[in-house]
Amino acid sequence: MSAPGTPPPREPRVILEEGEAPPPRSAAPAPRDRETPPAPRLDFGWERAVAQGSAARPRPAGGWSSLGLLGAGAAVLVLGLSALEAANFVAAQFARATWLGVLTLGVAGAGYGLIGAALWREARGLAALRSVDRARAAFARGDHATARAEALRWAAEVPAAQSVLPALRAANDPDSLRAILEAGPLAALEAQAQALGRAAALQAFAVTAISPSAGFDALVFASRGVRLVRQVAALHGLRPGLAGTLALLRRTLLDAATVAATDVAVDTAARALLTNPLLEKIAGEAAAGAVAARRMLRLARAASEACRIVPRR
Amino acid sequence: MPAPDPLGFLSDALAGAEEAARALLGQERVRLAVTGLSRAGKTVFLTSLVANLLAAGAGLSTLPALEAAAAGRLRRVRLLPAGVEAVPRFDPEAHLAALAADPPRWPARTEDLSTLALTLELDRRSWLGSVFGARRVTLELLDYPGEWLLDLPMLRQSYAEWSAATLARLRRGARAAAFGPFLAFVDALPAAAPAEDALSRRGFALYREGLRAARDTHGLRLLQPGRFLNPGPRGEAPLMWFFPLPHPEGGGLAELCARRYAAYLADQRSVFLEPFFRRFGRQAVLVDVLAALHQGEEAFDDTAAALAEITAALRYGGSLLDRLTGQGVRRVAFVATKADHVPERQRAALTALLEDLVQAPRERALAAGAETGVHALAAIRCTEDDTAIVDGRPVEAVRGVLLESGRVARVYPGEVPPRRPGPEFWRHGRRFAMPDFQPPRLDPHGAAGVPHLGLDTLLAWLIGDLL
Repeated sequence: MSAPGTPPPREPRVILEEGEAPPPRSAAPAPRDRETPPAPRLDFGWERAVAQGSAARPRPAGGWSSLGLLGAGAAVLVLGLSALEAANFVAAQFARATWLGVLTLGVAGAGYGLIGAALWREARGLAALRSVDRARAAFARGDHATARAEALRWAAEVPAAQSVLPALRAANDPDSLRAILEAGPLAALEAQAQALGRAAALQAFAVTAISPSAGFDALVFASRGVRLVRQVAALHGLRPGLAGTLALLRRTLLDAATVAATDVAVDTAARALLTNPLLEKIAGEAAAGAVAARRMLRLARAASEACRIVPRR
Repeated sequence: MPAPDPLGFLSDALAGAEEAARALLGQERVRLAVTGLSRAGKTVFLTSLVANLLAAGAGLSTLPALEAAAAGRLRRVRLLPAGVEAVPRFDPEAHLAALAADPPRWPARTEDLSTLALTLELDRRSWLGSVFGARRVTLELLDYPGEWLLDLPMLRQSYAEWSAATLARLRRGARAAAFGPFLAFVDALPAAAPAEDALSRRGFALYREGLRAARDTHGLRLLQPGRFLNPGPRGEAPLMWFFPLPHPEGGGLAELCARRYAAYLADQRSVFLEPFFRRFGRQAVLVDVLAALHQGEEAFDDTAAALAEITAALRYGGSLLDRLTGQGVRRVAFVATKADHVPERQRAALTALLEDLVQAPRERALAAGAETGVHALAAIRCTEDDTAIVDGRPVEAVRGVLLESGRVARVYPGEVPPRRPGPEFWRHGRRFAMPDFQPPRLDPHGAAGVPHLGLDTLLAWLIGDLL
């Protein structure tokens, strides 16, 4: 900015704007000094700029990882080639005899129909989970339109939430939607999830107390745990298939792992205190059962948390 | 070379295993060490980082470069709920409310440790991966008094070594004037001075006064020990009643000072350094380069020396054990803060000057296998570029509202040299204190984040690979 060929001034300088009215940028704050009212603070129009930027932000398209491509390729080969093989076989059977062809076609159709039904169920289960994610994201960013649409769709499918459908339709903002859902159906669903958790805990306690080995304990806990997660998901209107169950289990895994780490310490301490062999046998097994039961209760809470369509504040 | 610590190795191995398991589950956790000398702007940086990340998670375009690094997959950001931590929680809401208040207040000098963790929820990269739900990256942040960081280099020194190095430094340049009464006191002490509390408290008080004068009057930064300048919430304690002595290896007072020196370091190690600075994955070293430049040659060189000392004491993960346990810093960013105090044209020079200033620490980090970068940012932008007339000539300046008077001012910050200036620069230059500006108009709740310069580019470089 300084004239070419001449070095700029070295000394830093502060130059006050004397008597110059600053350009109007925002509403002026209350004056602190009667003689020289303070200048308004700078306003970069930040809120507008970041809002416009977000509107223009494109949503990325889902990509395919190498593993995904590998799996998809294998599935296409297995299903596609077997379908071609089956078609050839049906054609050959028709060549032999019409009744044989019809029978073979029926068997092939039933088989592929069942596979298709399973895939459809998986896709629906995953779509329901995605819908929960969309609802949570909408609540988190305060997007009323999406949150309302997702809440209405969810409430229409969950028996415990159908009574609040009119209230949800009348809600004008995300906070009202959240309040209606949390006070009504979600509270009821959490209570039901806890009841399921208590039933599972009782079974886990009983089985662990009488089981012959630690390995069997783990097996029982795992299978009952998976069933519990699916039961809780069903309460929330989700009907997860295999992939959906895996996704749900993963969501609850971290909470459950934290609890398990604490429980191992508690369990070890309880066992260390009991030195009498008989007491150790009786109380030790009971302690293991109690730990398993506690984990099951926690699992119910974690699963219910994973299925909520409203994120915790 | 320090003896291997088997417990430390075990703890590092466990931490490495936990990190690997978390990465497998898509639940990475990264500790970002925001390092900097006092008044470098750590608290404001953390406040802006939290507010802008939360706003970005709500769908606002506050950090475009970070969003680009995440390929638009950032879905949500939330504060991790408090657990049972014994350390105070960093309070960005309170800092934002103070900045947005009328009159605004910049955060006061940080007096204690505080921590906060944010969870970034991201869509998976692939369709198949999305079956397993969102990825979560937890970002752990720490705010602390910058003065304490200078205790790190002391961990490698015995009391005798520290005494000799410190006294040699105190007798040179501006320190000799600041520490005049203290130097007169210790030079008058006999070699066999008795272990009297009256002597140790007098020596401590004089030494601390010297430290304060060196910091406040001369703008020096390499001032140890840190708790002498900023005692924190626990205040002054008898273990701080020590100071460097010309005869540090004798009995009596020298022995008492040596014992207190060891106790002080053990306390700082257990309360501050070991829990928070032993293990972190990313580091931002904040430097107020412009203030160092304006405070004169000695202050500028002292800032460089302090940064070199700190970075030499940090753990960059270059050792074999660190490689085995997967510990150490992966990326180190050296950051010139308050970049809004210079007009846009000079920001490149500010970055280049910092690059020159931190050349030695950068090389050390690079040698240990860490990636390094140099950035310039304003965590909260308080000025806009303008033109001013200086000595009858138009020059590029910055324009803002002064904090003290509430009046608008144009500030010409002088020409920023792209590398350490020679004697000519210092001969003509006089010390200059950049005035404090008012922050711009802010939402007290920070729902739309806060205006910044370059924060998104820095974050994209520091943590973009994790997203």
